[in-house]
Amino acid sequence: MASGGAGGGSKSYSFKVVLLGEGCVGKTSLVLRYCENKFNDKHITTLQASFLTKKLNIGGKRVNLAIWDTAGQERFHALGPIYYRDSNGAILVYDITDEDSFQKVKNWVKELRKMLGNEICLCIVGNKIDLDKERHVAIQEAEGYAESVGAKHYHTSAKLNKGIEELFLDLCKRMIETAQADERAKGNGSNQAGTARRGVQIVDDEPQNAAAAGGGCCSSG
Amino acid sequence: MSQKSERRGIHVDQSELLCKKGCGYYGNPAWQGFCSKCWREEYQRARQKQIQEDWALAERLQREEEAAYASSQGAQTQPTLAPFSKFEDKKTNVTTRKVTTVKKFFSPSSRAAPKKETQEAKAPSPSISRQSSVETDKVSRDFIDFLKNLQKPGRDIHKQCRVFLDTMANKKEVSAEEQSEYVQDFYQNVAEKLQVHFKGSSDRVERVMDQVEKYIMTRLYKSVFCPETTDDEKKDLAVQKRIRALHWVTLLMLCVPVNEDIPEVSDILVKAITDIIEMDSKRVPRDKLACITKCSKHIFNAIKITKKEPASADDFLPTLIYIVLKANPPRLQSNIQYITRFCNPSRLMTGEDGYYFTNLCCAVAFIEKLDAQSLNLSPEDFERYMSGQASPRRQDQDGYLSHVNNSPSLGQAYQNLEQLSGLGERQERVLEGARRLERDLIEWSDGVAREVQDILDKYPLEICPPASAIDSDNVENDRLPPPLQPQVFAG
Repeated sequence: MASGGAGGGSKSYSFKVVLLGEGCVGKTSLVLRYCENKFNDKHITTLQASFLTKKLNIGGKRVNLAIWDTAGQERFHALGPIYYRDSNGAILVYDITDEDSFQKVKNWVKELRKMLGNEICLCIVGNKIDLDKERHVAIQEAEGYAESVGAKHYHTSAKLNKGIEELFLDLCKRMIETAQADERAKGNGSNQAGTARRGVQIVDDEPQNAAAAGGGCCSSG
Repeated sequence: MSQKSERRGIHVDQSELLCKKGCGYYGNPAWQGFCSKCWREEYQRARQKQIQEDWALAERLQREEEAAYASSQGAQTQPTLAPFSKFEDKKTNVTTRKVTTVKKFFSPSSRAAPKKETQEAKAPSPSISRQSSVETDKVSRDFIDFLKNLQKPGRDIHKQCRVFLDTMANKKEVSAEEQSEYVQDFYQNVAEKLQVHFKGSSDRVERVMDQVEKYIMTRLYKSVFCPETTDDEKKDLAVQKRIRALHWVTLLMLCVPVNEDIPEVSDILVKAITDIIEMDSKRVPRDKLACITKCSKHIFNAIKITKKEPASADDFLPTLIYIVLKANPPRLQSNIQYITRFCNPSRLMTGEDGYYFTNLCCAVAFIEKLDAQSLNLSPEDFERYMSGQASPRRQDQDGYLSHVNNSPSLGQAYQNLEQLSGLGERQERVLEGARRLERDLIEWSDGVAREVQDILDKYPLEICPPASAIDSDNVENDRLPPPLQPQVFAG
């Protein structure tokens, strides 16, 4: 869905990134630190931290990042697919002091790979490294797991502002690569209709086949 | 004529007390000097006339547009100048038109009479569909106005839209999915052309696309919203019933991080509920989305006031679910389906509106599947609440009371009721006392009467015949000198 607004020579990309993670692993702090550079601050200007955008410029390519927070409570787990449909990237956050939250991440990875295949760039993020003394998830285990599912692993601390810029920058680069590979495979966006069509839908239908319907109805103008 | 209408429209002659029509009844300045009956007739007539004229105007504009298009094609030597001046022309034309139509609305002048007859011959009864098309006509006019700024591509777009609408008119029977396909293809087609024209300035493309969406969807709304070919209506009813059955769900069960005790917060929540209900009244998918966004912003405000920190999705989704449960928005599924099918996809996928819309979809999905576990209840309790055998509020008085305290006005009402019942009790006591006092008084007077009687009985009063006066037989009394008279001294 990386809509390439091709114009004026330079490309611009729009990416949707979902943020997954259990209740108190620090998802909100992570994005607020990234988008507002603030942590537990009284002066946070934004009304909400559930949908945030960020504009980036990576190697001359403009990137519009839309970060979708998701409700992490167990009771909303089944709603996941509605959220992460059509997303280009997913950031899966766990708390390094909480073994359970890492198990949750594993569940999500399985689900994402099942629903979206390899098109989605996965980032597994161990947050709260400022609390390293209370670590309950071993570094080797986490990194090993990430590698085994084709994801990248990052260590961050929203409190100390560590590793967050790198995380998002890296993710953007990977998403651009995926989008470019995608374009090449599809032959210069001839099938844009197909990708642009898979809008938000509640019913779990097959993706509509846009190419078949054709656009004959309005070509007479 | 304009002079006349102006005089009537603005300056009302108070001296004309009788109905202007001369029907003998009194007129009223509020009805432009007519009596109520004549005014209603005139008003209806003016209204129909305006609808007719708007229609004619739209058609004329379109003809002109096509003519201008043709002439610009033909006269290659001065391609921009001619149509441009024509546009200027039309623009002023349109504005003056608008002014007069407004006036006409209020000035049912006699000049309408001859024209009216021909009209009535043409359209014997102003059909209902005509009347309801006032809104679509307005949208069409706005659309034409908007496209004028775009010159040639504007005309192209207008033509495409019309052709497309004609095509769609013949496709009423096809399935909703196919209709959606057609509309989406059309959007994409237009967007691609605009991309080329604006050389990739996506802001401007977006702006034009918004107008195209508005025009197309206002026109198509009736035939594609909740169409008979789908089971949207059935789903609407199912969701509505479901939400009604879940009326007992409380803030606590959903873990909603909002404190309704704060008056400001409860006011905001009411606004959010109003917004989500209002969604059904909009025609354009984008306007419907805007309602959802407005509702979401209210929710964020409520959370921020309660929690004093920006809301995350963990806070937002439960609150939205709660709002949907409280609002029970009309035709919820139809609206969601309509937006999904016919909204401009770029807006739905990455934009902020899209995020809130997705959350609404999540909320509905959650409500449909909700069970005991998702509310942290035991299955037995859940069953009992669902069947209406028990209510969580009646069960624990604490919860009930806290709910009462949630709304300050409700609390006030309860307080007033309590005071009233207290007053009633006191009144009752006063009355009781008064009655007792009355009884006592009666008893007392009776008692006194009785006692008097007793005493009278005991000591009956014997009246002896008066003994003869002591000195009655003293004859010499006559001889006594008269009694002394008081003397008045001078002074």
